[in-house]
Amino acid sequence: MRIDKKYSNWQLAALVTLRILIGWHFLYEGISKLMNPQWSAASFLLESKWIFAGIFKGIAENPSVLPIVNVLNTWGLILIGLGLILGCLSRIATVAGISLILLYYVCNPPFIGLYYAIPSEGNYLIVNKNLVEMAALFVLLLFPTGNIIGVNHFFHKLRSK
Amino acid sequence: MDEKRDDSQSLPKKGIERRDFIQGLATLPILGLFTLSWLDKTIHDKPKDLARSQRTIPEGLSDINVAFLGTGEQGYILLNDCLKLPGLRFRAVCDIWESYNQKRAAQVLKKYKHEVNTYMDYREMLTEEKNLDAVIIATPDFWHADHTVACLEANLHVYCEKEMSNTLEGARIMVEAARRTGKLLQIGHQRRSNPRYLHCYNNLIKDAGILGRITAVKGQWNKAVQPDIGWPKKNIIDSATLKKYGYESMHQFRNWRWYKGLGGGPIVDLGSHQIDIFNWFLDAQPKSVMASGGTDYYSKDTHEWYDTVLAIYEYETEQGVVRANYQTLTTNSSEGYFENFLGDQGTLQISESANRGGVYREPTAPQWDKWVSLGYLSAPEKVTPQITSGAVLDVRETIGPDRHDIPVTFNDPYHLPHLANFFNAIRGLEKLNCPYDIGYKTAVTVLKVNQAVEKARRLEFDPLEFQI
Repeated sequence: MRIDKKYSNWQLAALVTLRILIGWHFLYEGISKLMNPQWSAASFLLESKWIFAGIFKGIAENPSVLPIVNVLNTWGLILIGLGLILGCLSRIATVAGISLILLYYVCNPPFIGLYYAIPSEGNYLIVNKNLVEMAALFVLLLFPTGNIIGVNHFFHKLRSK
Repeated sequence: MDEKRDDSQSLPKKGIERRDFIQGLATLPILGLFTLSWLDKTIHDKPKDLARSQRTIPEGLSDINVAFLGTGEQGYILLNDCLKLPGLRFRAVCDIWESYNQKRAAQVLKKYKHEVNTYMDYREMLTEEKNLDAVIIATPDFWHADHTVACLEANLHVYCEKEMSNTLEGARIMVEAARRTGKLLQIGHQRRSNPRYLHCYNNLIKDAGILGRITAVKGQWNKAVQPDIGWPKKNIIDSATLKKYGYESMHQFRNWRWYKGLGGGPIVDLGSHQIDIFNWFLDAQPKSVMASGGTDYYSKDTHEWYDTVLAIYEYETEQGVVRANYQTLTTNSSEGYFENFLGDQGTLQISESANRGGVYREPTAPQWDKWVSLGYLSAPEKVTPQITSGAVLDVRETIGPDRHDIPVTFNDPYHLPHLANFFNAIRGLEKLNCPYDIGYKTAVTVLKVNQAVEKARRLEFDPLEFQI
């Protein structure tokens, strides 16, 4: 039998809340993109700076790759969001979430000397919301709660039968 | 809760229980809450979305069909900006430099899934393309009149780069064609749509009268020495084609701005943008101009127009006389480009260059707290002299004025709002910010500088010259 970490009530509540909040954010980002036929990652990718700019711009400028990236991004966000909220395959969802945000971060990192035409809603120096959300997901990866509060609980229960 | 949870973990052999369902599906209601919020937001945003969609794509004109005529350096910038605007469908590209300009433009448009046809001759394009709504003209100045008139007569709305024409006769027939056809003609003085310039004119100058009585204007565009523009040898245009379209050589085709009869030199290329702002912000046209200039640095064989020009205009405004000097150097880039408006209560420094500028209150002027609280200006910062040499400031030194930022930032490409204004005017949503009559008045104002240099004397403007 796999031994879960034993959290206090408050710890569990805090971790599940964090998981749901991040899941909600992912889900709504994905749904918004799904509902907006005009949406495309092109402008975000074209704005890419730093060492990976060539790759991201290449994606934006390739008409056969861009639609695939758009679909993957939209559905990735939705599925990760659902996974986190429901606690369903939440470990996979967490890793996928970290990977996705890492891509956003390295595409347009708030590094010294990089200037972006797309105005950001805040002011960032190296640390931006992507990095913070990524770190929060990393916490959730180390302190999983899906087996306790979430659909994973069933699998966990059946597996440990 | 803690205890219950531990039970479920420590006693797994009892199978799935009610408690497991509660724990497994505990967060399901969150999805319900999400769905409710989302639906609520959708209903809430619907009128806004509807308004937005009506704004960008009105019925009957879902996409504006656009052609590019001239896709050299400037045309390529406009093309890239147009790609950022919604509701446009690009249909055709026309440029006589088939193997370079034309190819480059078509490739970019095709990348973004615009199926464009390519042409070398504008007449052929206008005959073949039956579904165009608008054209962006960015050809050399001496072609503007022919191209614009032909496009207007083909029932197209026209965005034509400045200078409207290299001759007033050319500009006049453009105005006549626009009036005759009733189509829109926007001239590419793009600062007229720049939100920072609009804020300065509408709020600071007209509404607040923040500068008091403007007595002087100072503008410049200084550029560093540049070699002549070259071309890849494999992409040379044959001489018959060059001749057909008015060029004697590939060098002349690439460097047309410097040649008499083709362009107008730096005072027209650069000065025209800023002298247009003089007229706009002063709400007037000049009474006279005197100027000094010449081809002082470059070879006169390849630089027929003047590489250095200093001009002084005299305006008679409602408030009184305003003297405005403008200089353009192509041999030194000191201080770049800007327009300064100097009044008895303050100074406005503005430039198209990335958010450069500010407003300075004269020490004797009334406080500007009201304008700061209205958001017209940012809060002041004291300008203190920087002393690094150990020199002691004399008591007779004037105290530095307060400096305020212009609280409107603009990070888009420079031409984007002017192009957006053009397309929105086609959709009937906005008025053109630089229609032909403004472009014409600016052409009259600017083209006279070259005459003043040539004649080496002060030239008067007859008010009738500005009427069209």
